[in-house]
Amino acid sequence: MHAVSIEKLLFSWSGQQPTLDIPAWQIKQGETVLLRGPSGSGKSTLLSLLAGINTPQSGSLNLFETAFPSLSGRQRDRYRADNIGYIFQQFNLLPYLSALDNALLACQFSKKRRQRIAEQGSSAEATANEMLQRLGLNSAQIEQPAHTLSVGQQQRVAAARALLGAPKLLIADEPTSALDAEHRDTFIQLLLELSSQNNTTVIFVTHDAALSSYFDKHVELNELNQAGAQP
Amino acid sequence: MIRLAIKSLMNRRASVLLTVIAIAVSVTLLLAVERVREQVQSHFANTVSGTDLIIGARTGQTQLLLSSVFHIGSMTNNMSWESFEDIRERPEVSWAIPMSLGDSVQGLPVVATTNAYFEHFKYGNKQALEFSQGSAFASDEEVVLGADAAEKLSKTMGDDIIIAHGSGGISFSEHDQHPLTVTGVLQRTGTPVDQAVFVTLHSLEMIHSGEHEHSGHDHHNEAPADSISAALLGLKAKPLALRLQRQINTYEKEPLTALLPGMTLQELWKTLRVFEQALTAISAMVVLIGLLGMLTIMLASLRERRREMAVLRAVGAGPGTIFGLLLSEALLLTVVGAFSGLLLLYGLQWSLAGVIQSQTGLILSTTWPGASEWWRMALVIIVGFMLSLIPAWRAYRQSLADGLTVKI
Repeated sequence: MHAVSIEKLLFSWSGQQPTLDIPAWQIKQGETVLLRGPSGSGKSTLLSLLAGINTPQSGSLNLFETAFPSLSGRQRDRYRADNIGYIFQQFNLLPYLSALDNALLACQFSKKRRQRIAEQGSSAEATANEMLQRLGLNSAQIEQPAHTLSVGQQQRVAAARALLGAPKLLIADEPTSALDAEHRDTFIQLLLELSSQNNTTVIFVTHDAALSSYFDKHVELNELNQAGAQP
Repeated sequence: MIRLAIKSLMNRRASVLLTVIAIAVSVTLLLAVERVREQVQSHFANTVSGTDLIIGARTGQTQLLLSSVFHIGSMTNNMSWESFEDIRERPEVSWAIPMSLGDSVQGLPVVATTNAYFEHFKYGNKQALEFSQGSAFASDEEVVLGADAAEKLSKTMGDDIIIAHGSGGISFSEHDQHPLTVTGVLQRTGTPVDQAVFVTLHSLEMIHSGEHEHSGHDHHNEAPADSISAALLGLKAKPLALRLQRQINTYEKEPLTALLPGMTLQELWKTLRVFEQALTAISAMVVLIGLLGMLTIMLASLRERRREMAVLRAVGAGPGTIFGLLLSEALLLTVVGAFSGLLLLYGLQWSLAGVIQSQTGLILSTTWPGASEWWRMALVIIVGFMLSLIPAWRAYRQSLADGLTVKI
């Protein structure tokens, strides 16, 4: 089964020149993909399509054989809550919630995620605690409001939130750009380790090609996207 | 989601607290206007419960009512004792209380009357006056004090009191030479009776004429006074009141005014209604300003909360959820504000009750909020809710446009 399957996808922002024009792109389930693209290459647009925030004007975009463009906005929101983990570049957390509550946020919005955890014979809270500890937060930090944590810790909480409840797909939008090299490497290792446990497909966006050794595949967005290419 | 709204509000507690305070204070004002109006009206209505007609020399009805029962303002003209006697003797009149007003003791109104006052005057739910100490007048050298008057003058049974001519705190001619003895103190009524100092008509007459000789003079068969300020009448049958009022208003021997207390009060309220409405309108404006303050703060916070919205969108919250989040925040603010306003009202009433009573004689009862007060609060919450649709809609649009990528 394909995690992502794109054919003849066209997307443009309100009648302008197409931002995205992807003839074909597939990602297998469980694969980890490094997606590299300079800014302005339509990276954020592609991610918003994959996350179901926007839909393409034409072409097909299937996630795990679900045709995204045919779903309503509400259905896409539900699908995202249940199946997609998302990590931002930074400012991932609600500053007024504790690290634990932030990690639990995705489960709060998704019954399916809570069910999956329950099937493992555990509670969301216990699993979140365990995961945060594996990511290197001590029990005091877990209870702290998110804004008191360091950037590195915040990114790890974001990873826990994204992966809690075993989503099928993880989208990480330059999650390591605010981290130094040492933290970056451990972060990616932990992220991939946790993902593989649930057979989660990973799309990792970065501009740093040096990270490609960690991933199954390396994709250049410029090669994928024909928009703006010479006629 | 409510939990999330509360935590988010707690995160911005300084501006949230100010907003709640602004709403609370404005709600207090709105409720206070209504409460004071209601209580003043019921207080006034309570003061004259047994009296069917009030008569006096020709004057405005409101002036006569206010000066005779509430000791507010004074009467410029008097009615003659003969006219009073003539009316008192009419078959439809059951009792009559003559009163001379216009003097004061240390700012407390002096009411010169007869024992008929203590016998027939009724207040509240047709309750009669009762003595906590002593009894009514036995001679012209005696004085009866209302409950507050006794307290303020710090006089009890057997103490001497000096009556001055004129009203107001400072009087020009003090009749130090004419002391009277306290022989009775009335129980508290919660009406202007509590403030009054009661003397006999004849003793006031003597004070004014400067007579120094006491009883022994052959006053007994004469009228106790040449003229009086006003009289309260009780009728044998209430329906007679209108006819008698007309007869007195067209009295031939001298120009007189007769009024039905309930009706005159209604007219008074009617004339004051514009004023009331203005006050209500102003307090409603203040509430609106409070709510607009909330609107401003919510709109201003939207920009800095775009990240928050994007994070919520990322974990699967739809724009509808964002909309609901903003609405519930505003609803929380207005509900908490409105109820704090109610609490503040009770707090103020409780702490200021003493001052208000001693300054105005008005007893504000701390009753459970009435229907109109609940209505006003509900209205505040509804308006707050409607206003919050604006930031909620903005947040909805914003979260649709931003999606997961916030460009700040």
